Amino acid sequence: MIRPRWRKVISDLVGNLGRSLLVVLSIAVGLFAIGILITNHRVIAEDMVTGYRAVNPANIMLVTTPFDDDLVERVKSVKGVRDALGVHRVSLRVQTRQGNWLPMDFNAIPDMNTQAINQVHLLEGVWPPDDKEVVVEQSKLSEIGAGMGDWITVELPSGKTRRLRIVGIVKDLTLGAAAGGGGFFLAAPQGYITPSTLPWLEQSEAWNTLYVTVEQGDDETAIRQVAQKVRREVEAQGVFIFSSAVRTSNNHPNRIYVDAVVGVLFVLGALVVFLSGFLITNTLNALLAQQMVQIGVMKLIGAQRWQVAGIYQVLILIYGVLALILALPLSARFSYVLLEYLANRINLQLQGFRIVPLAILVQVVLALAVPQGAALLPILHGVRVRIHEVISGIRPSEAVQTPHWIERLQKRFRALPRPLLISLRNTFRRTQRLILTLITLTLGGAIFIATFNTQAAIERYIRQLSRYFLADVNLTFEAPQRIQRVQNDLAQVPGVGHVEGWAYTRADLMGAGDEVLDTVQLIGVPIETTLVTPILREGRWLQSGDRNVLVVNERFRATLPNLRVGDTLHLRINGSEREWVVVGFLQLAGQNLGHLAYVPYPELSRQLGQSGRGLLFRVAADRSNLSLPEQEDLARQVDAFLKARGYHVTEARAGLSVLEKTAKGLDVLTNFLLILSGLAAIVGSIGLAGTMSLNVMERTREIGIMRAIGASDGTIRTLVIVEGVLIGLMSWVLASLAAFPISRLLSNVISQAIFNAPALFAYTPTGFLAWLGVVLVLSVIASLLPARTAVRLTIREVLAYE
Amino acid sequence: MASLLTSAPASATPIISLRGVKKAYHTPAGDFWALHGIDLEVYPGEFVGIIGKSGAGKTTLLNMISGIDALTEGEVLVNGVRVHDLDEDRLALWRGRTLGVITQNFLLMPTLTLLENVLLPMDFCGLWQGRKSAERAQELLRQVELEEHIHKLPAAISGGQQQRVAIARALANDPPILLADEPTGRLDSGTAEGILHIFERLVAAGKTIVMVTHDLSLERRFSRVVWMADGRLVANRQIALG
Repeated sequence: MIRPRWRKVISDLVGNLGRSLLVVLSIAVGLFAIGILITNHRVIAEDMVTGYRAVNPANIMLVTTPFDDDLVERVKSVKGVRDALGVHRVSLRVQTRQGNWLPMDFNAIPDMNTQAINQVHLLEGVWPPDDKEVVVEQSKLSEIGAGMGDWITVELPSGKTRRLRIVGIVKDLTLGAAAGGGGFFLAAPQGYITPSTLPWLEQSEAWNTLYVTVEQGDDETAIRQVAQKVRREVEAQGVFIFSSAVRTSNNHPNRIYVDAVVGVLFVLGALVVFLSGFLITNTLNALLAQQMVQIGVMKLIGAQRWQVAGIYQVLILIYGVLALILALPLSARFSYVLLEYLANRINLQLQGFRIVPLAILVQVVLALAVPQGAALLPILHGVRVRIHEVISGIRPSEAVQTPHWIERLQKRFRALPRPLLISLRNTFRRTQRLILTLITLTLGGAIFIATFNTQAAIERYIRQLSRYFLADVNLTFEAPQRIQRVQNDLAQVPGVGHVEGWAYTRADLMGAGDEVLDTVQLIGVPIETTLVTPILREGRWLQSGDRNVLVVNERFRATLPNLRVGDTLHLRINGSEREWVVVGFLQLAGQNLGHLAYVPYPELSRQLGQSGRGLLFRVAADRSNLSLPEQEDLARQVDAFLKARGYHVTEARAGLSVLEKTAKGLDVLTNFLLILSGLAAIVGSIGLAGTMSLNVMERTREIGIMRAIGASDGTIRTLVIVEGVLIGLMSWVLASLAAFPISRLLSNVISQAIFNAPALFAYTPTGFLAWLGVVLVLSVIASLLPARTAVRLTIREVLAYE
Repeated sequence: MASLLTSAPASATPIISLRGVKKAYHTPAGDFWALHGIDLEVYPGEFVGIIGKSGAGKTTLLNMISGIDALTEGEVLVNGVRVHDLDEDRLALWRGRTLGVITQNFLLMPTLTLLENVLLPMDFCGLWQGRKSAERAQELLRQVELEEHIHKLPAAISGGQQQRVAIARALANDPPILLADEPTGRLDSGTAEGILHIFERLVAAGKTIVMVTHDLSLERRFSRVVWMADGRLVANRQIALG
């Protein structure tokens, strides 16, 4: 037979299901959020490394003049090299479903069945393809608008076209790994073909890209040392190296986004732990306040303090366990919804569903320890209750005084409606309780608002990025073209206004001796360019009279943390090394873009031997503020016109679409934050609803007394709603204030991860207004429901209510 | 003030003894003296009625005896124990075993059945456990004629029935003394009569009962009546039985 004290625990649980549900939900929602945050934090961090390492990624990537298998075998015998693979990479234009032509990278890989380096995951169809077939990479598939089984049309160097059938879809985690190439988000759609397909595409069968793995793949210094040896070996065979990149086996190309996500999860996780703690404390305070008379009675009939405390500790333990049972599976399941979203967008390969022990441990500790800790003070307070006070209902020791300022306010605003005055007084009667409620609601609201502000900061930054993409059409030619000729030709295209020709090359960023640190993309812009207005973080932009100077992007700071304005960099262009002086630091779309620097056009074109010529052309329309469709239309016209004139255009792309592509990584973060703000809203809302409801439940007896002395149901409803809304509004004001530092913290975490620089801040009314709406609606609902129950009880029932 | 000893058998030892008991409440308006030096002795087997108007200090006096409120001055001995020398936990255990407390508003646990309400003091004090405690609780509920309702919740029975459950609960640990604070205050006269009848049976069975009431008509039901007004005993009279 169960002892009566435990029967009390059970009957308290089931006898007041509504209250029990509220308490369990209040605890569970915090556990749920924490479970999700920790699971995401761990799985992303682990799977990024595990998944990337599993594909045996290249540690050294060299883009070269053609070479054969002999060179590959020689490289394999270089000390420190584990394996080497020669592939042929070629960029060809393919036609999109919309009829546009976009560059696509085709990778011809030998022995695809046993490909040892940069392995891909087959998602659909077959691997390897047969000759004259193609397998495509999934993350860029939407850009060409084709799917499994579709045919894609490829434009060959001669102008002829070929059609290849898509026979498989794969995931390639190494996409963007050659950082110099522009990263994952800027990478072109990828296709994988057999080497035998190359001649059919008018390409030679020789390799032009060398992938090397090294023995110590996790040690960047070791990789660099091996890379030097490999470079010497390659160059000794008369093969010219265009660009080189190194990457450790645990450094996923999108690591910075993962770092940003993990940072956000960490900050939010810590805040949610606090929020849950307050939520639980508040809920249990309310619960124990309702139990004071029963505690007094138990002491009256012989219960010692430890016995009473034991009853409530067990009750709270059960609440915690029930919350845990609810939160564990839900958080594990929902974590993977979020993870799959992220994995698809930042190109991670999840290693399958699994339980994260740390998430469970933290949830168990939170479910069992935090409620006990939170309830400790209320329980101690409860067991010390003075019996005669609680059983008589006269509690001078608990006497609550209306704060003087409220009294003064009431005197001053006598004209205010009576229910509002009573609600005001009620709200401030129990100051300690009010503070606890407000802290809980404020924290929930502040997190919610802060996620919106952080999104706004990122979106604002994305808008700012358009300063780099002021041209309406961005053209890339297969080979440098005479600028004057292109300008004259394009002047005939209706709608074209201003045209600039830019120089472009890849250079080696040199370290000590002949060590190559990384590849740098150099963009030579006319000093007087009107199509770039950079976001400068330090130093200055290019000016007339400049020669060997660079304005570098945020990535340089990661590679060379001590780099300052005025410092000199050694760059090797086409085999000859020169000094370049850094005059400014700019912020672009994140470190993921690789090393990128703007240099004066005259100097770069001179060094390239391309004076008066440009590889990149920027076209501005003759009117401003073109929409994306208008820009695309102009790009098509320009492309067709140039093609008709015999130019070989690799890409003609709308400016806004380049911006969109560049900002895609940041978009992922924005959407991720949107999901997290939803999570914060759930936690905050349930906290708000629970706290409000318990506040009203606690006052059931008071409601009965008011009804007994003639208050109508309407009056009571008004009182309760006004009080709820007052608390809600106060919490909203406080949450709005608290949102500012939290927003700054979150923005900074993201900014440091992506830009290696402090954040730009932005504040949007959306979060503030959305939370105000949530607060108002929930305050009314959460107050009204228990008040409705209370007014439905007969006066006798209410007055007998515990 | 009349000597209380004159009301008692010369040879008996009092089971309750109050000496110079004073109680003050500190209020913003200054100290309020609820008891002004009470001397009272109650002997085993007595059915003592404390009668007075509202605010006379009757409940405070009862609270001094049960130890649920602190003394300001004086001494309270119950069954040989200096009540106010005990710490809170010992006091609770002692109270559970020595006193049965019955109040005007019954104070039953709303989520426990009648049987569980009666079992609860036995659970806390550990004098009866398991099957024996259940049998005892059922027997007590049978004695107050509620054996058919033992699995009901308090809300499902009448006020008079709830007060009988409260009596059964007060008797759970077989205490020698019952303290009843206005036990008939919320009951109709017929129901109140039933409660008083139970008390009389208990006294006949050897229990000592101290009952507070403002109902003057009950004077003749007690073996002794103590009159209170303004925190003082104003009269103390033995009632002639029969």
